[in-house]
Amino acid sequence: MTNGNGHRRSRDYSRQFLWQVAMSIALQRIYSFLVHPDKRKEEQSKIRGTKVDSSTRLIEMLQKIFDSADEECEYEITFDSASDGKQHNPRRDQIIAFMRQPGLNSGRRIALELQAVTTTNSGLGLFFILYGESNGNKKIVLSRFPANSGILADEGEDDLTVEFVEKVFMKSATAYKAAVYRGKSLDGDFWDGRAIDRQTNSEILAISNYWIKHFLLSDFRATSAQGTKRLAAALLVATRNATDAAVKQEIIAAARLSGGLTGKSTSIKDFCRRFHLSPNATETIQKQVRNDAVYTEKFRFNRDEFAKHIVIQSVELKNGAILMASAADFDKVFEQKILNESNNDVQFSTHGQIVDQRLKRKRS
Amino acid sequence: MSNVESEYRARYETVLVPLANRLERHLRDHFDGWTSIDRIVARAKSADRFVAKAAALTDGKMKYREPFDQIQDQIGARIITRFLQHVDPISANIDEYFRKIETQRIEPDSDAEFGYFGRHFVLFLPTDLFDDEIPADRAPKFFELQIKTLYQHAWAEANHDLAYKPQGQLTADQKRKVAFTAAQSWGADRIFDELCTELTVDAKRT
Repeated sequence: MTNGNGHRRSRDYSRQFLWQVAMSIALQRIYSFLVHPDKRKEEQSKIRGTKVDSSTRLIEMLQKIFDSADEECEYEITFDSASDGKQHNPRRDQIIAFMRQPGLNSGRRIALELQAVTTTNSGLGLFFILYGESNGNKKIVLSRFPANSGILADEGEDDLTVEFVEKVFMKSATAYKAAVYRGKSLDGDFWDGRAIDRQTNSEILAISNYWIKHFLLSDFRATSAQGTKRLAAALLVATRNATDAAVKQEIIAAARLSGGLTGKSTSIKDFCRRFHLSPNATETIQKQVRNDAVYTEKFRFNRDEFAKHIVIQSVELKNGAILMASAADFDKVFEQKILNESNNDVQFSTHGQIVDQRLKRKRS
Repeated sequence: MSNVESEYRARYETVLVPLANRLERHLRDHFDGWTSIDRIVARAKSADRFVAKAAALTDGKMKYREPFDQIQDQIGARIITRFLQHVDPISANIDEYFRKIETQRIEPDSDAEFGYFGRHFVLFLPTDLFDDEIPADRAPKFFELQIKTLYQHAWAEANHDLAYKPQGQLTADQKRKVAFTAAQSWGADRIFDELCTELTVDAKRT
């Protein structure tokens, strides 16, 4: 299959992309630590941890988390390099130290770092480190369950007793966080991984940055500028290649509304979903990207970067008229009236002082 | 032929060379219109050089136990700028559009010495480069990027061919000659950079 740019499009190998060998690895070691919200506290709470026995009932749930982490963790992330530019990241070092020697001590060092960046907003959490290895392939999952309170209802033969329960740790749909790393070489691999953070688009910066930036000392694999430029390029080529006027209009309308995404994490796929683009428009955009990994790769949207690539919106009418304005202002500058919907006949009107007029040698 | 060599040779033809070509096109597209750039090239490390590097020892032990995962310059790219003042804006752009795990300004150890100068990055290969013909799981994760001026590049290339052998094998006079050419390149870069600044300012005034 060839896409709009003449590239041979890949099958859906976005998951396979970063994982080199997306093979199943058995969960072998589980450690759990209670992590307090001790950010900015001079004296850190003592971290209590335990090795979780594989015979407990908990194992079934943790095995599911371990197995599904590759799918569930939807953000491709990479560890940051050191501020002096060297290939060094303290969290990566600790994770690798744990994999070299899995145990309570090496796990506690990671948990301590999580505690030191956990604010009272995030609260008490139960932190799990899940690790397995098979034929030299290693996999590690870090997972944080926020504390909650709840009510325990116990049904007797004729009655019901209810009891308030504190420190219940649940896989919250709104605050769950996890990260997964796979690789073979402890020296060369483990620079990238995948993460999930349900709060990454929180308006509160400290919360949105807590898991990936502050704890994992990482960032999205695609930089903000890189991801935004790709999105803009895909939209630009899609509007050029679309044969259906309605599809063009849909894409242009979505591009104009994109300012609302500023600072938010998104992907080209997310963009299509968020603006409810039709299957035709979505397919037209998807055809412009080289592979599914690019289509699904997350990045933080940057309005200025987007504007560098999509500045001008132009409309050409069958009578030869060409209307041009900045994409953001087009609808304000030109008033549009549909004269006949069946043959797409429209009337545009505008007014203003002439500040410049020119002839162009040819249409670009 | 060792396992490392045969595996690398197979990878070289089918993955590394075509990937380097794609990377070169990608970088050229990315920097399209930058008149400060003289040229952009990308290449796959030759099998002989890879095998030699893979066999390197540190304190009598193998430096790379997993050479395919540890050697990060299996694909290398180079951006050659006209003048020194162009290196910073290009580096800043690379920082913005590529995810890095390392960046270094390479200079001689002592301020009183002349030798190799350049800006080096170790960057993730962009996701855009892969498809069914070159799947990511058969490719390295990183590439090395060097940003150098024309003079830095010219000196490094000539030096590599002539003087790239254990320092003990060069006579004192030869070492001085190598340092002299490095100093000349350094000086030419400085003078051209100053001229570029002066003439650009003059052109703006007129």
